Amino acid sequence: MTEHARENLTELLKRFMDAPAVEAAHKDIQAGERLLDAYAAPAPDAAVLAIIKTRMAASALRRHRIIRLVHGSVAAAAAVVVLALIGLLGPGSANRSTLSYVAIMPAVLWDSDDIVADDLDLAYFSSEIGLIEAQMQALDADESGVGGSDASDELEMELMAIQTEFWKG
Amino acid sequence: MGRSVELARIIDGCKSGDADSFAQVVDMYAGRCYGYFYRLTGDRDLSDELLSELFIRLVEKIGSYKGGAFESWLFKIASNIFHDHLRGKQRRKKLLDAHRTQLELEPDLNEPRFSDDGEMRLDKLQVQLNRLDADTRDLILLRFHSELSFKEIAELRSEPIGTALSKLHRGLKKLRELMEG
Repeated sequence: MTEHARENLTELLKRFMDAPAVEAAHKDIQAGERLLDAYAAPAPDAAVLAIIKTRMAASALRRHRIIRLVHGSVAAAAAVVVLALIGLLGPGSANRSTLSYVAIMPAVLWDSDDIVADDLDLAYFSSEIGLIEAQMQALDADESGVGGSDASDELEMELMAIQTEFWKG
Repeated sequence: MGRSVELARIIDGCKSGDADSFAQVVDMYAGRCYGYFYRLTGDRDLSDELLSELFIRLVEKIGSYKGGAFESWLFKIASNIFHDHLRGKQRRKKLLDAHRTQLELEPDLNEPRFSDDGEMRLDKLQVQLNRLDADTRDLILLRFHSELSFKEIAELRSEPIGTALSKLHRGLKKLRELMEG
């Protein structure tokens, strides 16, 4: 039995109207409702209902898929978050070194463009090369004091020594 | 009691996305909802559209149904759909023009437009219903087709029960006078 059927209209009308008006109002309402009963509305077409049912089934299926997809995505996101938290807060995190990494080379060297001045080895070899260049130029110019063929042998020896030293590092 | 248990089972099925349960809801309520739309619009094609929209919206919103009178919940959606429809610019204009033309032409009800007597009577009631103001017409049709109590209708329309009762009384009395006049 619906609320509508259980409803006591007379009792309800009494709450808002005087006793004489209640009976008249009750009659008016009942007569009006009988009128609506007498002029029944048409029923929906069976074909239309079949289409509606098909559309509802398709819509329900689509919604079900979307919900499943959303749930899957949420579960995947939750798993990533859980794994990240385990990585950060899980066992072993306490033993992890808290030392931070620092560069072993001073920052000024990274910033400098004067490589020769910054690297002692390079500075040494550069000065040696400079010296050899001077001796070569002296040989070319046949300058006195540097000494004829002995000087070139000496220079060759010196070059070999430098080469050995260079590869030793 | 058995009916409400059965309805609860069907609604649970709908919430699970079961197509058969949705079909059962259609079988149970399509007639009343269609009658409501038809009496509001007087247009079968439009009523078909609104009915279809109602049941598709039911699929979308069934998760938000938290118990209580299912008819009240369903007719609240139906009422919203009809009012959304009225708010639609093009449709509203078309509907109002149709109603205005219908009223201005003052159809001669003694001149049968249909060969079938039943169809002719339907047409007469429809014309007289259209002479009532929209709010009263909606209230009368909501009460008749939803079969809700005044208490439920007042809640659905967010107005005092005395106001709903008084409007319905006046509306039905006027409708009877129009039909008899």
